Amino acid sequence: MKRICMALAALALVLTPMQASAQDKLVVSVWGGSWRDMVDNLIGKKFTAATGVPVEYITGGTIDRLNKEKLAKGNPESDITFTTSHVGWLYANDGLYEQLDLAKVANAKNLVAQAKISPYHIGTWAYVYTIGYRPDLIKGAAFESWADLWRPEVKGKLAAPDFDPSHLIVVAALLSGGDAATWEKGQAKLKELKPSFKAFYTNDANSQQLIANGETPIQVILSMNAHYMAGEGVPIELVIPKEGAVLGIDTVAIMKGSKKAELAYKFINVALDPQVQAEVAKFKKGSPVVLDAKLDPAIAKLPGVFTSVDQWNKQAIIIDHKLRAEKTAEWRKWFAENIMN
Amino acid sequence: MTSRPFLGAFVAPATLCALAFVAALAAVMQYSLRAYVPGSLEPGGFTLANFAALMKPLYARVFLDTVWICFLTALFTLIIGYPLAYALVHARNVALKSVILVIAVTPLFLGEVVRTYSWIVVLGNNGFLNSMLLKAGLIGAPVQFMFTEFAVVTALVHVTLPVMVIMLAAALSHIDRDYERAAASLGAGPIRVFLTVTLPLSTPGIIAGVTTAFAWTFSAFATPQLIGGGRVNMVSNLVYQLGFASFNFPFAASLSVAGLVLTFAVLALMRAAAAPLEKIGPH
Repeated sequence: MKRICMALAALALVLTPMQASAQDKLVVSVWGGSWRDMVDNLIGKKFTAATGVPVEYITGGTIDRLNKEKLAKGNPESDITFTTSHVGWLYANDGLYEQLDLAKVANAKNLVAQAKISPYHIGTWAYVYTIGYRPDLIKGAAFESWADLWRPEVKGKLAAPDFDPSHLIVVAALLSGGDAATWEKGQAKLKELKPSFKAFYTNDANSQQLIANGETPIQVILSMNAHYMAGEGVPIELVIPKEGAVLGIDTVAIMKGSKKAELAYKFINVALDPQVQAEVAKFKKGSPVVLDAKLDPAIAKLPGVFTSVDQWNKQAIIIDHKLRAEKTAEWRKWFAENIMN
Repeated sequence: MTSRPFLGAFVAPATLCALAFVAALAAVMQYSLRAYVPGSLEPGGFTLANFAALMKPLYARVFLDTVWICFLTALFTLIIGYPLAYALVHARNVALKSVILVIAVTPLFLGEVVRTYSWIVVLGNNGFLNSMLLKAGLIGAPVQFMFTEFAVVTALVHVTLPVMVIMLAAALSHIDRDYERAAASLGAGPIRVFLTVTLPLSTPGIIAGVTTAFAWTFSAFATPQLIGGGRVNMVSNLVYQLGFASFNFPFAASLSVAGLVLTFAVLALMRAAAAPLEKIGPH
């Protein structure tokens, strides 16, 4: 009995500091790899320096983290979650997010309208999916409109993401006189594009590899990936078509049930700090979501990096984020059945 | 009767694991019978619509393609793996044995994704294979290997080979060499000894290897996903494409259940077909 009591006492001593430290940290859910490193280096460290509160990260894929938080509903594993705008709506619809009080986020005063996704989640940085191609492999090519993807010389050269067909579905609808809500109008147009597809990439690395080795010299590509590959010496031309490029926004939200909401607001405020936003834009070659961020001119001039209201309004095709969350499954199924297979 | 005092202690954890697997499978089954609610993570009421949707020719084709790719992979893995396993067991030179073992087993130590990416480098239009063929003057323009069934099967054979070699080597090493010596002493040449003694006696290993390779390949995901590029799809890729990438978990669950049933059915057929052969093997 004495031994058991001593063991329990020792266990209590070991666990007590752990419990204390668990209460004194902010837990952030984010994608792994360079995303986690970026959030830690550019936002987390600054937050810790300002508050003295360390940040712990839970990393994983978009769907993995969504499932985990769904299972932990009411007692969230993280205080803050980064995810894409439309997946954020799935969190919100399931009651996993706290409603935001933007009055507590001073830096949100310069947030662009397009980054105010819902009462629950706001944008932190943005990018576009657009046409990227290898001018050295597609001689004399010029893409000025999404309609140029339907030209005969694109046949058998195009790749697009297999995980999200919403970009092309909405573009085909727009070219056919419809929009995201009336996407069926573009079905016939998109079927005409079927012979142009050579492959469908499954992730960023796969996209980068297929365009770097010339396997698919034209892609519907994430602007950040194109800029990254260009930095690696791969000759890639990124186009903003006259209709605009399809906007993507990664968002931040506070988890419902978080006991550190006040700290979470401070973290979000750091994330929207103009200087942090400029650093994020430089690191990922994406758009800041606050209009007072002062970007390096070399970054600001990159296609798909929006720094003015005019650019946000004229160069971005915005798919309603809530509609996209609702339609993704339907679009994905139609695309798999009619275009991929 | 032998007393087994620790049987309970050993069986209890296994039983708990089995119960956890059964519970997970029951959850998947339950999901497969629930309706998908757009924009929500919660499934709706009970329905058979997910299974009805599987009746489309597209899904039948992917299921058949999967069985065909598994068959080809198992066949070619056996054809390549058997000589390797035979050499591994019969080589007398330790260095040679080590080289064969390294060739056969090293792929196991690389992740499936790494192995698959290396095949993209080999099979790409500007890859190693096309470069060699172009330099040798055998082709005038790059051959399209990537995103074809050939490429997917090639990469899957590489992924599956270590398992096949290990199973065949185990079977071959259990064959009493006296049978082969007896046949040779009675005048049989090496080929006849192999065909009439070694090969029949290794039948259980072949059956086990082929069955395992088949089942192993059936669940392949990364290789067909990356090498197939969405043009060559297996059941697991469909589960990902239509389920997880679009949050339609009920439909993904129904695809998984259908895939599981198909796996059991094919393995049962293989077992029935191999039953007469198994009688040859025991010695």
